[in-house]
Amino acid sequence: MVAKGQKRKLLEGRGAWESQLQSVLDISMEKFHRDQALVEPSLLRSVLISNTLRQVQSEVRAQVESLSSVKMPTKPQTHSGLEPDFPSGSPSSTEHNAPVFSLNDENSNTEEDVMAWTSEEDFSLSSAISVILKDLDTVIDAGQGPPRAPLGSVENLTGDARHTQYPPSSSRTERASNVVPSVKSEAACLGCPQDVVLEKLLLDIDTSVFEPEVNLLQGFSVTADDLVKYLPSLSKSPSASSSSSSSSHGQATWEIQEIEHVMDILMRTYPQS
Amino acid sequence: MMAGVGGGNDFQWCFSQVKGATDEDVAEADIISTVEFNYSGELLATGDKGGRVVIFQREQESKNRPLSRGEYNVYSTFQSHEPEFDYLKSLEIEEKINKIRWLPQQNAAHFLLSTNDKTIKLWKISERDKRAEGYNLKDEDGRLRDPFRITSLRVPVLMPMDLMVEASPRRIFANAHTYHINSISVNSDYETYLSADDLRINLWHLEITDRSFNIVDIKPANMEELTEVITAAECHPHQCNVFVYSSSKGTIRLCDMRAGALCDRHSKFFEEPEDPSSRSFFSEIISSISDVKFSHSGRYMMTRDYLSVKVWDLNMENRPVETYQVHEYLRSKLCSLYENDCIFDKFECCWNGSDSAIMTGSYNNFFRMFDRNTRRDITLEASRENSKPRAMLKPRKVCTGGKRKKDEISVDSLDFNKKILHTAWHPKENVIAVAATNNLYIFQDKLN
Repeated sequence: MVAKGQKRKLLEGRGAWESQLQSVLDISMEKFHRDQALVEPSLLRSVLISNTLRQVQSEVRAQVESLSSVKMPTKPQTHSGLEPDFPSGSPSSTEHNAPVFSLNDENSNTEEDVMAWTSEEDFSLSSAISVILKDLDTVIDAGQGPPRAPLGSVENLTGDARHTQYPPSSSRTERASNVVPSVKSEAACLGCPQDVVLEKLLLDIDTSVFEPEVNLLQGFSVTADDLVKYLPSLSKSPSASSSSSSSSHGQATWEIQEIEHVMDILMRTYPQS
Repeated sequence: MMAGVGGGNDFQWCFSQVKGATDEDVAEADIISTVEFNYSGELLATGDKGGRVVIFQREQESKNRPLSRGEYNVYSTFQSHEPEFDYLKSLEIEEKINKIRWLPQQNAAHFLLSTNDKTIKLWKISERDKRAEGYNLKDEDGRLRDPFRITSLRVPVLMPMDLMVEASPRRIFANAHTYHINSISVNSDYETYLSADDLRINLWHLEITDRSFNIVDIKPANMEELTEVITAAECHPHQCNVFVYSSSKGTIRLCDMRAGALCDRHSKFFEEPEDPSSRSFFSEIISSISDVKFSHSGRYMMTRDYLSVKVWDLNMENRPVETYQVHEYLRSKLCSLYENDCIFDKFECCWNGSDSAIMTGSYNNFFRMFDRNTRRDITLEASRENSKPRAMLKPRKVCTGGKRKKDEISVDSLDFNKKILHTAWHPKENVIAVAATNNLYIFQDKLN
């Protein structure tokens, strides 16, 4: 059992490191967000800031791991499947008195593991670390979806869509271009008449235009499979479609509705920060 | 406290001139962004954030005006780059001149390359001191003469006129860089030059503007994996097949263009192993190299990172042969400097003509000189307070702790808005040009 005095020393030593870690993290995140708002952030600056954030993240993870190895001998294994190297830990959460943190997938187990075997003395330290982890995840996810106005609605797009419709932020459009190809491939796979319209729409978007700027912390996790789940009606369309003129008008409006639906999905896949 | 930087004899740096506005309010466009002497040192060019180039010419020695011996006066001013708008990406392209590089003089005209973030231009600066008079088809004021009234032909004669210096763009090298150009460097063959942006380096022929060779490309297939960018590049002064480029991780790669068309694989890799005891969250940022310069001899190169200047022997890749601390007292302030963005400042460095001394800038309008032979260093200040003609500059000292002596300045009193990023040393004489925001200071050695 780790003596109380030793625990306290551990905490004090941690205090200085923690405060520096917290300030570096705060400053880095502030810069990161500020740069995101710029039309064209400096690539050198972005790389240096994101590398610093990664370093902070790995330091925090290392500290949490060392915390867990300190804690493990003292606490009973109530948490099923507790492993020293998370975040691949087990999913159960409700059995513990964990504070309510809305963490995203990857680190939720980490955070819960931390909380599982924390005593009141270490609660402040662990909660500080978990706040830091949560902040880091917010940063990484925020990289995927910045707080911006959504893409313009589909029916306004003309042939010059790439010039007029797309917003000034090139980093946002880079994200759009990352999403679009997966939708495009999905549409191509479906091979039904309705997605011809969708394909034409997507072809209008020249993704090579959006090459230069990129969000370096992007870990865009939307895959084509995910999008398929949200596009059930498109896959059903072959049976619904018919070449008869009576249904063609209904088909056209239905196509527009489907495209709007797709655009809604695209907007929703940017997680709200 | 050192009286001067030696190189055999001690130098005594004296104020010579200062150019630029004296107002407290600095117009953003007037901020000097690059300074460069030409090969003879007769001309000194500056570029600013407003896209203008100002060229100063050194006065010839004259018995009539002995006091103005060696003074630099304005020779030519022109607008090199204008702000542009990239409609495809909805981005404004800054007109700020990032670098100026002179070409060696081959005839009466002078040529220089100037670049902003995206476009490089070759400018010809020529003098006109004669004008043809007595044309047949037009009058002196340019009006066309009625051909039916011409009864006799005359031969135009050249008449002297007031000296006019004209700058004309001879080549425009555009559309080759997706990212921001940080360096240009003229090759020793005087036919080609390289331009480097964050991820790529291109090789150009001075005569050909619609094509360039891409010789380095470090862009990853997946931009999410990008962790390192190119920060500076330079051609070797004598070997036209060799060039170097530095990175944001503190490494320098030397490449040989004979090895292959694409120089992604380096011939030499220079990196100093990290000192684990000084590791911090900012280690990587402060290791980022902001400038790389070959010595005139071509045997050494110098790199500038945030806190130090390092001299490397091209034959030794594992560590520099000399390291000079520019402002080590800032190491304990890195967190604040990160917060106020000063940690991202890109300082340049330069060699003197004989490679015996190096110079670089710092904050509070201080600049530092290091003598490689005697290992002595000096800190001087570019300030209008020391601007009496031929006044000798007093060495400055930063107090790092404890009791502050008279004439010392404490670290906390340093003005981090007054930064000397750009300096240049005359290729043959002890004359230096120091850019302090919107002012250009010229200092000369008293013994000059």
